[in-house]
Order: sequence, then C-alpha cells, then structure tokens
Amino acid sequence: MSRRDVSLRSVPTALGATLVCGLALVTLPWLLSDFLLALALSCLMFAALAVSWSMFCGPTHYLSLATSAFFGLGAYVTAWGLESMPYGMAVLLGGLVGAAFAAAIGTLVLHLRGAYFAVITFGLTELTLHSITYFEKSYANTAGRIIGNAPETPLIYWTVLAVTVLSVATAIVVRASRLGFALRGIGGDEERAQTLGVNTRRVKVIAFSLSAFFPGALGAAMAVRWTYIEPLSVFNPFIGFQTVLIAMVGGAQTLIGPIISSVFFSLLTEFLRLRFPYAFLLVLGALLIVLVLYLPGGLASLLTRRARSHA
Amino acid sequence: MGFWLELAASGLITGGIYAVVAIGLNLQYGLMRIMNISHGEFLMLGAYLTWLAHTTLQTNPIVFLPVVALALFVLGLVVYRLCFQRIARTAPAVEVIEARSLLVGFGLMFFVQNAVYLAWGADLRGYSFMAEPVDILGARFMANRLLVFGVAVAASLGLLALLRWTMIGKAVRAMMQSPTGAQLVGVDTGILHPVVFGAGLALAGVAGSLLSMVYEISPSMGEPYTITALIVITLGGLGSAIGSLLGGFLLGLVEAFGMHFTNPSLKMVLSYGVLVAVLLARPRGLFAR
Repeated sequence: MSRRDVSLRSVPTALGATLVCGLALVTLPWLLSDFLLALALSCLMFAALAVSWSMFCGPTHYLSLATSAFFGLGAYVTAWGLESMPYGMAVLLGGLVGAAFAAAIGTLVLHLRGAYFAVITFGLTELTLHSITYFEKSYANTAGRIIGNAPETPLIYWTVLAVTVLSVATAIVVRASRLGFALRGIGGDEERAQTLGVNTRRVKVIAFSLSAFFPGALGAAMAVRWTYIEPLSVFNPFIGFQTVLIAMVGGAQTLIGPIISSVFFSLLTEFLRLRFPYAFLLVLGALLIVLVLYLPGGLASLLTRRARSHA
Repeated sequence: MGFWLELAASGLITGGIYAVVAIGLNLQYGLMRIMNISHGEFLMLGAYLTWLAHTTLQTNPIVFLPVVALALFVLGLVVYRLCFQRIARTAPAVEVIEARSLLVGFGLMFFVQNAVYLAWGADLRGYSFMAEPVDILGARFMANRLLVFGVAVAASLGLLALLRWTMIGKAVRAMMQSPTGAQLVGVDTGILHPVVFGAGLALAGVAGSLLSMVYEISPSMGEPYTITALIVITLGGLGSAIGSLLGGFLLGLVEAFGMHFTNPSLKMVLSYGVLVAVLLARPRGLFAR
C-alpha cells in the first residue's frame, strides 16, 4: 500500500475532506467574476475527467484515449434531449450513456493491452465521431445543433461541481474497495490476479464503465456552455489527450495528483495564453517535456517526497 | 479500364506515403517502445525544409531530398539525446517507457508545430513541381505523383533490404526479437537506439518532402499522418516493417475504393472501421504469424 496518498489515510476522513472542499467551492459563483468562474469551471471539469480516468487507468496501467467518446456522447444526449427533459436529467442520462457505451466497447477490447489498447480506443472514438457526423447529415440533415434554453452559468457550475465531488468520492471508495484491490492486482500482473480468483474480465469492464460515467455526465453538463455543438468540437480527441496528460503529469497512481495537476494546467494554460499569446503552446510543450523527464512520478511525488522527509 | 487503373493508382500513391511514414514510426516503436506521437510534425518539418529551399535557393526538390533526410537524421539524434534517452534509461518497465514517451511526444508536437507556425504562419504554402500529365495504358497521371510513388516505394524497399541484408539491419532485428539477447551478443544500444530514432525521423522527413511536391503544406499537416501511421502499423503489426509497407498500401486502396463505392463522407468511418475490425479479429495485426 505504499502508493496510497499520504494525505488521505482513511476513507471517512478523505470523504469528509472532499465534502468540505466541495461545500467551500459552492460559494464561488457569488465571489468570482465571470472570467474567473469560467476558469474555475474548466479546473473542475478537468479535475473530474482526470480523476475518473485515473480511477481505471491508474491502477491497471491501461492507456485509454476514449474519454472524448464518452464526453461527446454525453454532449449529444443534451443536444438531442434538452428540449424534452430537465437539465439535471440530461446530465444523469449522459453519464449513463457514457457508462453503457464503455461497458459495450470494454467487453470487446479490454483484452488488448499497451499501445494496441490506446490505438483502438482512439479509433473507436473517431469511429463514433464520424458515425454521428454521418447520422446527423443523412437523417437529421444538419451538421451541428443549436442548444436553446441553456441554464445560467452558476447552475452549470454547481452541476459540474456536483459531478466532480461525486467522481472524487467514487475514486476514494473504489481505491479502498475490493474492486480497487483487484484493479491494482491486474496492473501488477494480470495472470497472477486471475490465479488468485479475480474475474479480471468482469472487474475491468465494471471499472471501465464506472469511470466512463463521469466524462459522459460532464459532456452533458458542459454542452450547454457552447450553445452550438457539432461532433468535431465535442468528440475532439484533444479532450482525451488533455485528460491523459493532466492525469499522468499529476501522477495517475494517486488521487490528489490529477486534482492538483488539473488546477495547475488550467491556470498555467490561461496564464501563458494571456502572457504569451503566440508562443504559449511552445512553452507548454517544452514544459511538458521537462516535467516528464525530471518529475517522472508526477506532481504528486513532490508531496510524497516532502512527507517522507518529514517522517 | 483506364478509370479503374487511375483509382487503384491514386490509392497506391497515397498508400506509398503512408508506408514511408508508418515504417519510420514502427521502427521507433518496435525497437525502443517509443510511441512518437510527434512523428507527423517531423514530416511537416521535412515539407517546410523542401519548400524553403525550393522557393529561396531554387533547388530541385528531388536533388534536395537527401539533404532533408540527413538534416532530419541529425535532428533525430539530437531529439533522442535530449528527450528520449533519459526515459529509456530511467523507466522501470516497458509500459512506463510507452506512457512517458507518449507524453514527451505530445510536448514535442506542441513545440515543433508552434515553432513552425511562429516562423512561417498558418497559411498554406506550396510550389509547382513537375505538374504535367503523363499517359500510361490509357490512364492519365500527374508526373509528380508518379515520382512521389516511385521514391516512396524505393525508400521503403531500400530500408527493408537494409534491415534484411546488412549487419546493422541484423542488429536491429535482433534487438526487436530480444533486447537482452542482442546486448549479450554485443549489440550496442547506445549507438543503435539514436541511429534508429534518427532513421525514423529521416523517413518522416522524406515523406514530408515528397508530399510538398504534390500538395500544399501547412503547420498542421502532420497530425493526420501520425494518426494514419498508427492505424497502418496496427494493421501491419507493431514492429514489422514489411507489415507497415503492405498495411500502408492496403489502407490507401481501402480509402480510394471505399470512397468510390460508398459515400465520400464515409471515408473516415471506413478507415477506422477497418482498424477496429482488424484489431478485434486479429489483434496482433493482419500479417502476424
């Protein structure tokens, strides 16, 4: 258990801390300007994406690039259904669609490992993107959709906050549960885990599907921010790449790492964008390389290192 | 007859480019487990180098081709030394190398793409080279496309021959089969890894240089080729150079004929459909034994 976060020793404390942080963040719409609230929204979104990604991919060492597929499907649930159902309902349904889709593809592709898994999840995302584009073009005769009666920004913020808190809480519970142990076992040595009586196939499908609920729900929740959505924007593979990047730079084995890293990256991106409007991706790229080379354990390893030297 | 020949040829020409790009990426992955997601950016660099030399110094792009290959080879040595050597030395497991090199690849992608964007802007650039039609067997081709096809095939076959019949090729193949075994019999990773990485980038540069003779170029032209190359090496099998060659042609043909028989807007659905189908049915690639 050496990989457990030092700051989160036991489940009740961790859940309590999550709840307190969540409640504190509820007040932000009254405190922040529109610009800062939008920034907070993107921090929360990436925190939830990275935490849910690490939930499955952290312990098992799978590299899933399918986050954009779940996110996009969620967004399309809102686009198709917001006329006929309340916003909260669409978010829940988006999550369920994401989870169902993950369960379906998980059953088919989770026996692949390493680069193959990364490539096929990417391919499936693109396949979904182009299938929806084709479907919309030939049956609905439209390239994109305009989302009417979008809710106010604070409501979107609270919804995303709720999804984020739920994702962190789920991650905490999963880590301490039999499911979490089974996942770590699979990451360590899948055959050995099987020999020890873990139904690895079922465990992987359940965890993959669970981790896909959150990107689905976030897609549904965030879709209303765009007012006009098209497959290329909501299935953008960059959403998946960025999630992987944030989770891995933070340290996908840990819980706190992806959260720190999502705040770090959202703020850094915004700062660089304002400070160096032309060269910001250049700086970001160089920084990413340096981080991976000289801080391979992720940002979370800074905390662990400090905690160890205190102990 | 002429029409079908033209259709097949257009598929094979695209396929030839795919093959060159994919072989480079596959060598890097097969030998070092480096998933170089920035591969397409070096293709774009090759295209810009050729364009720059042609428009400022009036060099003949074909004559300039070896210079591009050499420049990118050297760049490859530098990039390997700066970015990937440390990963290869410090990573505890193969999976970790894959994951970290993927992240570094993203960093390189942002870096190279935006450096070119800052230097030359986002505009499409291009020049006209050998753009006159040639008739063969009743079919009509542009001379530059035939040339591109010829060079792409020659480069791929040359590399395959190199791998098959030379000492360094033997070392590379031994390294792919068993890294430890190869080191035991005296293959030096310290030399082989940077050289193969450089060779991969040189191939990407050649592909980019060839593309610049036919199409217009832009800083974002590389990404689609990285993705296609990933598809091709998955079709042909990771680590198999011949597989990449055949996979490249196959994908080119599937795209050309698929678009003709169905709807052009289904092109992407088709190529990803093929990828997913192959991975499900033959997860080790089409040509795996």
